[in-house]
Amino acid sequence: MNLPVNNASAAVDPLTAEVIIHGLCAIPNLIDKNITRTAFSILISEYKDYAVGIVDAKGRLVTQSKGGLPIFVANALCAAVNDGLEIYGKARLQHGDVVISNHAGTMGQHLNNVVMYTPIRTDDSDAGLVGFLAIVMHWIDIGGIVVGSCSSNDTTDIYQEGIQFHTVKVLARGERVEEMYRMIAANTRFPKMVLGDMEAQVAGCLIGRDMVLDLVSRHGHAAIEAAVKLFWDKSEAAVRAAIAELPDGVYRASSFLDDDGINKGKPVPIDVEVRIAGNAITIDFSEIAAQMDGPLNAGFAGGAIAAARIACKYLFSPDEPANDGAFRPIHVICPPGRFLSAQPPAALSGSGSMIPTVVDTILRALADALPERIPAAHHGTYGIHMIYGRVPGENRWYQHMEASVGGWGAARNRDGPGPYRSNLHGDTLEVPVELQEASYPYQVGWVRLRQDSGGAGAMRGGLGVEKSYRLKVPGRLWVQIERTRCPPWGLAGGHAAVTGRVEVHREGGETLVITKDDVALQAGDEVRVYTAGGGGYGEPLARDAARVHADAQSGYISRAAAERDYGVVIDAAGNLDVAQTRARRSGG
Amino acid sequence: MAMFVGTDIGGTFTDLVGYDAGRKKLFYAKTLTENADLVEGVMRCLAETGLKPEAVDILKHGTTQVINTLLERKGAKTALVTTRGFRDILEIGRAGRPVVFRFEYARHPPLVPRALRFELDERIGAAGAVQTPLDDEELGRLAETLRREQVEAVAVSFLNAYLNPAHEEQAARVLAALLPGVYVTTGSALSREWYEYERTSTAVANAFVGPLTDGYVERFDARLAGEKFHGRFFLMASNGGVLAARRAREQPIALVESGPVGGCIGAAVYAKALGIEKLIAFDMGGTTAKCALVERSRFEVRPDYYVGGYDYGFPVRTPVLDIVEVGTGGGSIAYLDEQSRLHVGPRSAGSDPGPVCFGRGGIEPTVTDANAVLDRISGGAFLSGALPLDRSAALAAVMQRVGTALGYRGADAADKVASGILALANAQMASAIREITIERGKDVREFTLFLFGGGGPLHGLDLARELHVGRVVVPPEPGNFSALGMLLADARVDESHTFLCVLDEAAAPLLGARLDEMRRAAGAALQRDFGNAAVAFEYQAEMRYLGQRHPIRIPLTAADTVAAIRDRFLQHYRRRYGRADEETPMEFIGLRVAGIAATERPDIAHLHRAAKSGPVAAVARRAVYFAAPGARIDTPVYVRDTLPVGARLDGPAVIQEFGATTVIAPGDRLEVGVLGEFNIELARA
Repeated sequence: MNLPVNNASAAVDPLTAEVIIHGLCAIPNLIDKNITRTAFSILISEYKDYAVGIVDAKGRLVTQSKGGLPIFVANALCAAVNDGLEIYGKARLQHGDVVISNHAGTMGQHLNNVVMYTPIRTDDSDAGLVGFLAIVMHWIDIGGIVVGSCSSNDTTDIYQEGIQFHTVKVLARGERVEEMYRMIAANTRFPKMVLGDMEAQVAGCLIGRDMVLDLVSRHGHAAIEAAVKLFWDKSEAAVRAAIAELPDGVYRASSFLDDDGINKGKPVPIDVEVRIAGNAITIDFSEIAAQMDGPLNAGFAGGAIAAARIACKYLFSPDEPANDGAFRPIHVICPPGRFLSAQPPAALSGSGSMIPTVVDTILRALADALPERIPAAHHGTYGIHMIYGRVPGENRWYQHMEASVGGWGAARNRDGPGPYRSNLHGDTLEVPVELQEASYPYQVGWVRLRQDSGGAGAMRGGLGVEKSYRLKVPGRLWVQIERTRCPPWGLAGGHAAVTGRVEVHREGGETLVITKDDVALQAGDEVRVYTAGGGGYGEPLARDAARVHADAQSGYISRAAAERDYGVVIDAAGNLDVAQTRARRSGG
Repeated sequence: MAMFVGTDIGGTFTDLVGYDAGRKKLFYAKTLTENADLVEGVMRCLAETGLKPEAVDILKHGTTQVINTLLERKGAKTALVTTRGFRDILEIGRAGRPVVFRFEYARHPPLVPRALRFELDERIGAAGAVQTPLDDEELGRLAETLRREQVEAVAVSFLNAYLNPAHEEQAARVLAALLPGVYVTTGSALSREWYEYERTSTAVANAFVGPLTDGYVERFDARLAGEKFHGRFFLMASNGGVLAARRAREQPIALVESGPVGGCIGAAVYAKALGIEKLIAFDMGGTTAKCALVERSRFEVRPDYYVGGYDYGFPVRTPVLDIVEVGTGGGSIAYLDEQSRLHVGPRSAGSDPGPVCFGRGGIEPTVTDANAVLDRISGGAFLSGALPLDRSAALAAVMQRVGTALGYRGADAADKVASGILALANAQMASAIREITIERGKDVREFTLFLFGGGGPLHGLDLARELHVGRVVVPPEPGNFSALGMLLADARVDESHTFLCVLDEAAAPLLGARLDEMRRAAGAALQRDFGNAAVAFEYQAEMRYLGQRHPIRIPLTAADTVAAIRDRFLQHYRRRYGRADEETPMEFIGLRVAGIAATERPDIAHLHRAAKSGPVAAVARRAVYFAAPGARIDTPVYVRDTLPVGARLDGPAVIQEFGATTVIAPGDRLEVGVLGEFNIELARA
């Protein structure tokens, strides 16, 4: 056979390369499913707060599972592996070793995100190191001043947020390092749960490693390396081609967060500059706010890099597994000491909470350059609320933590979808009301779409929701919601969405409105959560009157909003008043 | 002596298999599906075999009617009645975004629009007690509204009804009485498990397909009666059993995966007869490949199913054979994307235009074309020569669309490219098999691969090699095996309840009472439809450690003690996860009871055409390409019907039959078994 020319490689022909890449990309997805089934905590099994990937011997991402949270496409896995390569060197990372790290200075995310990895080797030599099977997983508690470690609005340094494992082995050549297990168990409020999840993580690493080794034994190490290089090069070329379609230029956008949790009411500005030059993109965070006193910080890897790569993945390579090649055209600038490049010992427990807004701001900057793709803003917050307390008469805690769902932005050719969680979430599932009521001492009054919450527009923003909980026993409510002052914006004349809020209706009649707080609840108190919608796209008056009418008939918008925002008049019987509508819409 | 008929209405073909127990004779027919009148299609198919309806004793029928009605969204005008505050559950769902990086991602809209979702004042608490009673007068007012809206079907689904269905039953009773002719269904009649979205979605889907399925079954019944059929008529349910027409009309959602289950049932029966403990049933057709596990001659039944797929579809809670499907089949198209990366499927050339080699206007190369290029299949044998294959057109398409662009040239370029296409197709199918084993904590190497469907025996041996599976079985009639399998199906009714209870001595009486209740319900349903047939029961518990999220499934017996259940949980847990904690308490989450009543069925000893003895002779030889050693080898070609029981062949060899071709590689050894099956030992790598 003549070797193919345009994809020439001595080590692998292009079709074998495809078979290898298919095999490699399938492995993290299989391990992902295995973990869902074997993990203990809801955060892992329902929330999918983990990701599985293969990293090469030089610490570059080969491929990653598709189902995990977007925050993990960044480079938590590679950051941890590179730190391990630096500390141990290849020679001291042997078959059967399993290493963990959640080191703040390395990953720059909240300490709950623990990366675990194991070497994939054909033999003991440096050349025999193929790469690593790596899994990052949110451990539900790693100590610190609050239950769950990351649900704080007012920690001020990392040491208040739990224990750090700075690249330590939990298995050495296949043997458990019992000292580490004891240490982990002693530093969490939920040892059974954490160790159970950790077992799933260890098993995933080892099974995945063996699957990669099976591929290596079939095709050879050199062919695997050549196939991966080809995969990266093609992914890079595709991303570059997509970037090249944008007009060269400097694009800017601004938004802001409500506050840092400590200095209440003082906005935190997010000013982003995006530069397109040929087939490369630079995302420059030089102008964003300084690192904060509270926990809404992330390090460079977990903050600036993560936000930039997530935005680019939405834009340029939505369907492919995350990989090193797709990241190459993306340059990120963020001087040290900003809230996306926080320096130790900054508190990091809210390290992901700001990023949905940062990603939306990057997108907003490019909205004019890519009007057919970029939607209006989504609700933009994790919207976390947690109802917790002691189970009466028992020596244990109950805890329900929920990240809220809200509306997503409309785009040029479609209404906004949702309600979903933020753009940093993926296939994370709502916990069923029936399961909540069977497990926790409260009753849910309703879960419903929030009328009029979506931004008006020729295309309407998606709706937020309303949910009511009524406590049967005393407990506490912890809330961290954002974007109550900088509403999810519309584009091209579309209106902004209605913002979210949390209310506590005391049994006695008092009402409390909170955004970032932790308050005591009595039996009979009701918590109402209202989430934001997504922004609208285009002038509302341009929306087809029949669609406005249908929205009103379905109750997605009120009659009043139909008239006020859209100039569509609907009579008391629910019929469209064509004459009055025409008059209103023609400027009357 | 009985006459059995199984018929499977697929998207493209209607298949029919008849077995005359008196003459020990098999009949086959295949006609294009008559979408306009499915009943007529079956009757034509029957006519083609020469069988008279009045001679048929048992007719088993699988249909895609339910799934197609759901996918095409062409069901009844349906309303949902639910608890005040929760009508949007159907629209919000679980709020996941499986397609993570697509801004526009949205699930298919719910089958019932918001304006037809009605809320009533009523509430069942978390412990199952009535908190707010349901008022008949409010139901009366609602009935007026539903009549005005000309609703054809109503789904009733209330919060916590899995604990106490009284309100749902009350609402269904009152609405059915006030709305004659309207199809009424409740969530708790279909599932007694928690998770309000899934149960509500199930009730809605059942109501949506109810009136059409009702009419279809009625028409079928009437048509059969008109043809003097006085045998018994059953429908294939997704749980791998058959249902009587009456139950199918009440629970049409139970037919959602009626089509693909036949092959799995057949695989389980053969596994038992052949004494194969662990088997993977692998079915490769034109557009997809499917696989399922059969262990100790039992297939797994999963409690839920996504109509339209997990990414965009909606869930239904109905027992469905646990099948993993991948979009790779004989018609899957091989193409290069903008990055010149090769893909195979999920786009399929289907039967129209079909693969290039069919010569019906197809221009994009498919998996079948790659097989033709490599001479793994040949025109002379394909469907007994009814469909000639144009190998040179296939070769040209493979090179023009894939090979040349990737820079392949030279004498053996087409072989390399076609072989690459097959390798990628096989890798995709191997992933599906890994998924169904690894995800369930099984070791694929311990299994035997059981191959059927048009492409199963053609690709299965290479799959086995890739998966390190040592033994492969090809049953008789692999190309018609799904319809054949239906002949072997028993009657089956599944009951499943959410059962939240810590495993301790106090649990024993509660467990016993609940299993008893479930057994009686399943038994009564089978008694009603299948008379005095003996019913066997299988019990399973879903259990987990207190505090763990996902349960694992443990088999139970009616006589189990608490200690025995505990031990079995530990044993299963250890087998699956490699470890188990002796101290942590365990709890039940759910209970499942399957009632199985044997229906009369043919003896599989006679379901093949292999002779008792005779010579083994090749009908031809040709140069067939094999991936290992990566070259063409002069290979003998056999006709399956001429191979007697006990015949042995060493690879390489090609064995042709109607609708399928088996290809064994150098070093593989084949023997024809007593049931006419091929037992193949793979060459050790």
